[in-house]
Amino acid sequence: MKVRKTLVALVGMLQSIVAVLTVIFALGLHFNFFSVQALSNGEIELSYVHLTALLVFGFFSIISGSLLVQEWLESR
Amino acid sequence: MLKTEREFGLFDAIMMGLSGAIGFEIFVLLDYAYFQLTGPTIVSALLLGGLINMLIMLSYCELGAAMPKIGGEYTYIKTAYKGFTAFISGCFRWLASIFGAALAAISFTRQLAYFSLILSPAVQNSILAQTPLIAVIAVMILAALEIKGAKKIGAIVVIAFIAIFTIFISSGILRGLPPVEIFPKTLEGLPGAFAATVYMFPMFFGMRSLIAAAARIKNPGKNVPKGILLSALLIIPLYVALAYVAVGVVPLGNYNEPFLNLAAENVIPEVGGALFAVAGMAASLSALGTSLAVQSSIIRGMSRDGYLPKTLLSIHRRFGTPYVATISGSLFIMILSAIGTIEFLGYAASFGSILVFALVNLSLLKLRKDKPYMERPFKTPLYPFTPIAGVIMSMALLVFPIFIDVNAASALISGIGLTAVVLATYYIRMMGRYRLQIALGGAGLGMGISLLVLMGLAEIGFMSPMFPYIPSYVMLVVSAISIIAGILNVTTRG
Repeated sequence: MKVRKTLVALVGMLQSIVAVLTVIFALGLHFNFFSVQALSNGEIELSYVHLTALLVFGFFSIISGSLLVQEWLESR
Repeated sequence: MLKTEREFGLFDAIMMGLSGAIGFEIFVLLDYAYFQLTGPTIVSALLLGGLINMLIMLSYCELGAAMPKIGGEYTYIKTAYKGFTAFISGCFRWLASIFGAALAAISFTRQLAYFSLILSPAVQNSILAQTPLIAVIAVMILAALEIKGAKKIGAIVVIAFIAIFTIFISSGILRGLPPVEIFPKTLEGLPGAFAATVYMFPMFFGMRSLIAAAARIKNPGKNVPKGILLSALLIIPLYVALAYVAVGVVPLGNYNEPFLNLAAENVIPEVGGALFAVAGMAASLSALGTSLAVQSSIIRGMSRDGYLPKTLLSIHRRFGTPYVATISGSLFIMILSAIGTIEFLGYAASFGSILVFALVNLSLLKLRKDKPYMERPFKTPLYPFTPIAGVIMSMALLVFPIFIDVNAASALISGIGLTAVVLATYYIRMMGRYRLQIALGGAGLGMGISLLVLMGLAEIGFMSPMFPYIPSYVMLVVSAISIIAGILNVTTRG
């Protein structure tokens, strides 16, 4: 149980952080915040398909990670 | 306070249908359809769109006459299919309103830029450079007016538009038009014409606003179907004639100005372009205000039914208007109008409504089967072929353009993504946390494994990498986290 608790906390937090970064990255590429587009070396233009895929992945991951963190908080 | 007594007659019903249909769309959607998709055959594409709209509206006539209640399509679908399908239809209708409102904001900015050319080219350039900002400001002002409960001027706008369009058409015909090839010459021309039909379809379906007001129409059993059919019939020759004249006076080419304004410049020299710009701005702002009200009414209806948080029902203490629902929708509209392109938003608004059309036709079929003795003052002719044809045409309109236009494909894929978000929202509200966690765990597991498979296929050269700008090791870590989180969520004990 202790292993699961630790894993739930760690993975939950990691997934939430990755999800938030994914959303920021997607919006950054689209709006070119902080010249993020330069990272792609102009290889590809971020289409709506990429934007949607990244945003949906980010949205699901934020909820999934938050639920794990909540599970950990309630089990303490 | 919304009055629900029946106060409108047939004339008012027709005006409502026309005020919904005659809007900003014609000022913005013809450009891409004419210059990029199909050329002069937009005339026949519009005719086809009008006829498909008539076909679909027959189902609206039957349901609108049988259930003249507040809520329109949402009510019909809810009566036929109950909870989940009604929720989905409400969401699609809401999304269509949001995309339509963003399109209206951009259309307003384009017409403002054209009008400002009269003042100076420098002013026009600065407006064009700041299109997203101006569109966002327009949304903010309209949202503020909506919260304050400003009166609408629908009927006056309709009469003014019909007058302006009639002057344009008659001046064009009197001026003399060259022969125009309005039908595709070869089979190769058909896909482009059909894509144009889908793209321009939002020009017709605004007449559904009559359905939204059916609860206030006298003798709805007769007046609702008559109002829908007459406004649908009137709009076809008006739009077809307008497009015919415009195509006749503006040859294909690259222009900075909007298509219809260019045509008006040619047909009514000196004042035509500016007149159309003013009409376009008025139509765009009117549509933006209507869309804000419609989206607010939809999310409040869904909130009332328990699908969305009750906060959305909050009424402003001083103005008595649903300010939380208005502000929530306005935020989405501002984002879309800042980042969206006209082509993308045109298809997106069209797809949302077409899906609702398909569901309304399916509801008609189900209600005829489940409630055969329900009072039906108007019956759709040639049943069941008419609603079945409505469903088939809706599906064809939805799927076909994605094979020939990348903007349509982007809009549809984004629509699927938004549907995923909508489904997640529904389950969050209806399932409870424990079951949601398991469901999301499954989704996370699936996404993680899919990501790994896609990476593997890209590594062996079977396909090109989906995200070439993200290093492989980052993708590997992200998919591993997603898979482990998925397993942990699926195995939760609540």
